[in-house]
Amino acid sequence: MPSYKLVYFDLRGRGEIVRLCFNAAGVAFDEERIDYPSAWTEEKKAAAPFREVPYLEIDGKKFAQSGAIASFIARQYGLYGDSALENLFIDGVVALSVDYFDTWVRAYFEEDANKKVELETKLKNEDLPKFLGHLEKVLTNSGSGFFSGQRLTLADLAVHHTLEVSYRDFPDIYANYPKVVENRKKVESLPRIKSYLSSRKVTEI
Amino acid sequence: MPTYRLHYFDVRGRGEVARLMFNAAGQKFDDVRYTKDTWPDFKPKTPFGQLPVLEVDGKLFGQSGAIFNYLARELGFYGNGNMEALQVDVVMGLVNDFIPLMIKVFFQEQDETKKKELLEKLLNEDATKFFTYFEKVLKENKSSEYFVGKGLTMADIVVYDIVDPLIAHKATIVDPFPLLKANRQKVESNPGIAAYLKSRK
Repeated sequence: MPSYKLVYFDLRGRGEIVRLCFNAAGVAFDEERIDYPSAWTEEKKAAAPFREVPYLEIDGKKFAQSGAIASFIARQYGLYGDSALENLFIDGVVALSVDYFDTWVRAYFEEDANKKVELETKLKNEDLPKFLGHLEKVLTNSGSGFFSGQRLTLADLAVHHTLEVSYRDFPDIYANYPKVVENRKKVESLPRIKSYLSSRKVTEI
Repeated sequence: MPTYRLHYFDVRGRGEVARLMFNAAGQKFDDVRYTKDTWPDFKPKTPFGQLPVLEVDGKLFGQSGAIFNYLARELGFYGNGNMEALQVDVVMGLVNDFIPLMIKVFFQEQDETKKKELLEKLLNEDATKFFTYFEKVLKENKSSEYFVGKGLTMADIVVYDIVDPLIAHKATIVDPFPLLKANRQKVESNPGIAAYLKSRK
């Protein structure tokens, strides 16, 4: 087993998918959690492959990009599907989640107060329902409670961390997406995920 | 081999990397292109109301990133093994970080003055930042001719495709990056890609 060390900020953000993958797979990993922004120094940036986090050290070699890291762990430790077409489907759900996450990031970090209100309103009234609608449809077609096949895959984990903020902030919306809620609860009931979430540090994002 | 049909608009955009990979591999595919008039009828049939869509033996799959990953794996452009796949994905990730900067300039910014400002920033500051990263990855790869391993992968093709429109705006943009420049020539020397580029409008 290689030695793994995740370097990211002390929050969920774009690092959480990596943590979820390792935990779901039952694979041990070390972590460096950088306080943002106070500890995000020039020295830390220079240590990163492309001056950003997360990056994963695998036996000392550094690899950036959360999507690349998550896919690697999923492939390595059985969180993908059983066929190329199933993996194409799983990657589609993951990519959809990243699209929504990126839209949320743009709204959350918008500095212009008026623009921020505009973006957050659009997020809540358009982007989120659209995204949840797609997920509800996929889960309805799946029938297993998981996004693909009969078991947990990267798709379930990607959706879980992506919906964390909106699930907390807009619980009422979720009444219209029962299968999404069911999937969330199902994922959280899996022993390794349950254990991880029960001890996970609570952060704003 | 399955029957492939790529559904996209009649532009390069988020479909071109798939077209390049099909051509590089010499893999036959239906290149379906939608216009403003023909898109509305197809939209409700797509998985997520968007293009591109890849049709594999009649089944429809959405999301360009997912489609590219699948084609790269099927057509042999993902390197060898999980570590090389990770390296290809790292380059994909970098390109995906750069794309929004291009979209903002070319498609979103309406104010002409702001647009000119952003274009300047894109062609100078942003391009320098990302091309430096690309150059770094090429340098760190033993062969240095390709981004990953010893041969053409999706990483080379994706970077090639994203740099193209920038060269149109600033012909010398790749010149300060010798490995990147040489890599472009390597991509263009693939027979399938060379033939496709000749015929591409």
